Amino acid sequence: MFRKVLIANRGEIAVRIIRGCRELGIKSVAIYSEADAESVHVRAADEAVCVGPASSSQSYLNIEAIIAAATSVNAEAIHPGYGFLAENADFARAVTAAGLTFIGPSADAMDLMGSKTSARRVAVEAGVPIVPGTVEEITSFEEARKTAEKFGYPVMLKAAAGGGGKGMRLVTSSDELNSSFTAAQAEAAAAFGEAAVYLEKAVERPRHIEIQIFADTHGNVVHLGERECSIQRRHQKVIEECPSPIDDPDLRQRMGDAAVKIGQTVNYTGAGTIEFLLSDTTREFYFLEMNTRLQVEHPVTELVTGFDLVREQFRVAAGEPLSFTQDDVRWVGHAIECRIYAEDPANNFFPSPGTITYLREPSGPGVRVDSGVANLSEVSIHYDPMIAKLAVWGRTRDEAIERLRRALDEYQVAGITTTLPFFREVARDEEFVAGKLDTGFIARFNERRVEVEPPPEQNDLAMIAAALHYSRYEQPVFVQGGAQVSDGRWKMAGRTAGLRRWRKS
Amino acid sequence: MKLKAIVDDQEHELNVKIEGDRVNAEIDGRVYELELREPEPGSYLFLRDAAVHECRVSKAHESFDVNLHRRNYAVTIVDPKRLRSGQGAHGHHHGLAEITAPMPGKVVRVLIETGDKVEKGAGLVVVEAMKMQNEMKSPRVGVVVSINVKPGDTVNAGDVLAVVE
Repeated sequence: MFRKVLIANRGEIAVRIIRGCRELGIKSVAIYSEADAESVHVRAADEAVCVGPASSSQSYLNIEAIIAAATSVNAEAIHPGYGFLAENADFARAVTAAGLTFIGPSADAMDLMGSKTSARRVAVEAGVPIVPGTVEEITSFEEARKTAEKFGYPVMLKAAAGGGGKGMRLVTSSDELNSSFTAAQAEAAAAFGEAAVYLEKAVERPRHIEIQIFADTHGNVVHLGERECSIQRRHQKVIEECPSPIDDPDLRQRMGDAAVKIGQTVNYTGAGTIEFLLSDTTREFYFLEMNTRLQVEHPVTELVTGFDLVREQFRVAAGEPLSFTQDDVRWVGHAIECRIYAEDPANNFFPSPGTITYLREPSGPGVRVDSGVANLSEVSIHYDPMIAKLAVWGRTRDEAIERLRRALDEYQVAGITTTLPFFREVARDEEFVAGKLDTGFIARFNERRVEVEPPPEQNDLAMIAAALHYSRYEQPVFVQGGAQVSDGRWKMAGRTAGLRRWRKS
Repeated sequence: MKLKAIVDDQEHELNVKIEGDRVNAEIDGRVYELELREPEPGSYLFLRDAAVHECRVSKAHESFDVNLHRRNYAVTIVDPKRLRSGQGAHGHHHGLAEITAPMPGKVVRVLIETGDKVEKGAGLVVVEAMKMQNEMKSPRVGVVVSINVKPGDTVNAGDVLAVVE
């Protein structure tokens, strides 16, 4: 096993990987930007190296600086987490060239599965169905028009180098095609430096279901079942579950076999996720893309299968076989995860950066919080606004939902706006409880949601509390001579009390 | 102490008396007798007929953010005794509402002109930040008295984009 590993990431996922290191007795090295010097992942690590200024292109995406950092502290391996450089084959090659181990698949497998068009070719080779579409990129509008007519509307335009919903356009009729084609190309070029787009038939009321696979260097490829990720905003997941509310063992087997087949076809190693679209009506599934890394939503799989995916990643990268076989994989109970974003759900999920002035995270039975923030943390505009993940486990989906409601109610974040109020409503929504999920869920939810008025006395109590707070901390006091002192009389007392509290502990 | 509290654009008359761990409050004629505990700064624990109500209060811009029973309330306190120079006082005393940029970004469009009458919730200025466009809305009915930006301008968090009276 490794002696020392550098984690080329930040936030909650860096903390998650550091926890894995600690359990295995591996020394952990954090990297950080100048804006992140006081952040939680730095505080959790054994060692930390600054790799550049706040802008991620100069820090968390700076391949040279990251490898120099790893070399300077004699780390043996680099774990990329997700996002940033996790799916960058050039980074994987640079890590290997520096004599270090990249904790992930081979650069060749990343290249093959990283481009959506070549990934679709792999799927076809593996005998896995794909959504009717072009395997090659579309270069002219005329070609796009002909292809769209062949498949029939609605169709999807997608960036070949894409991910995260960027460069993606749903086109419902031929009138929209021209402008969408131009826009998708421009967006793809801006986001990925490559304007190539391709076209697929859009599956109606699709569920987004993905299969977790794991492969070692000894030829073992297994799957850990599915995750339902249909609840999305801007084509990004916000709630994930394991298993899917469909919970069909036969379907799981078929999808699992297809995913394993793809893994075998590309000689995959480590953790990977095969994403599928599933038609709710026909139960047919189509290969969508592969993510060649640990996923954000891996905790729901961990809660239901009991395996520690980060631990297995370390094992596989160190050349050891997986600690389990396909027959050892059992799915017990139900897990649901909510991604807590610093975003305003009432304003189209617009990012809401700022300082967290108060934080109380939930705990208790069946609750897991993977958090990247602490009290007084600054949520910066430079990085992804996800601050934490709340995952719950229950014996049944209903029990998990009851726990989710309770945990969401315990969760308090002040100073920034978060998606918590949105999740509290969704967790009580009839369609959600019934498991009627597809990628159009949030749009329909926003249409039907009705705001429930709180009891009027609560409104009054909130005003009384605000008035008390004002009198404690802000009310001006008049001293001799009539000069106004800006600090309230209780403010100083409060500070002194706070200091006393710290001294005590 | 006599104060005014504004929630959802509604003004309420507040009279709050604190005696030890008892709070007697009157809001628009409704009377509350509460037992008060303050377990930590910013936490106000009310006991009313044995029912527990924990309020978490923090300062958010010009108002207070109160979390009570998993809901958030934005409460603006107006102190009639307070001098005008204090922060938080100007907005409601003068009937002015400043529309500020929530984060650094670029002005994409200005949807109004000086002198325009606007409804509450009307879009005023579109700011692009973090690759997303965000329409800054009027917090109240009124007249646009000034516009401080034009398309293409770079703005910082807190910059005043427009003022509605």
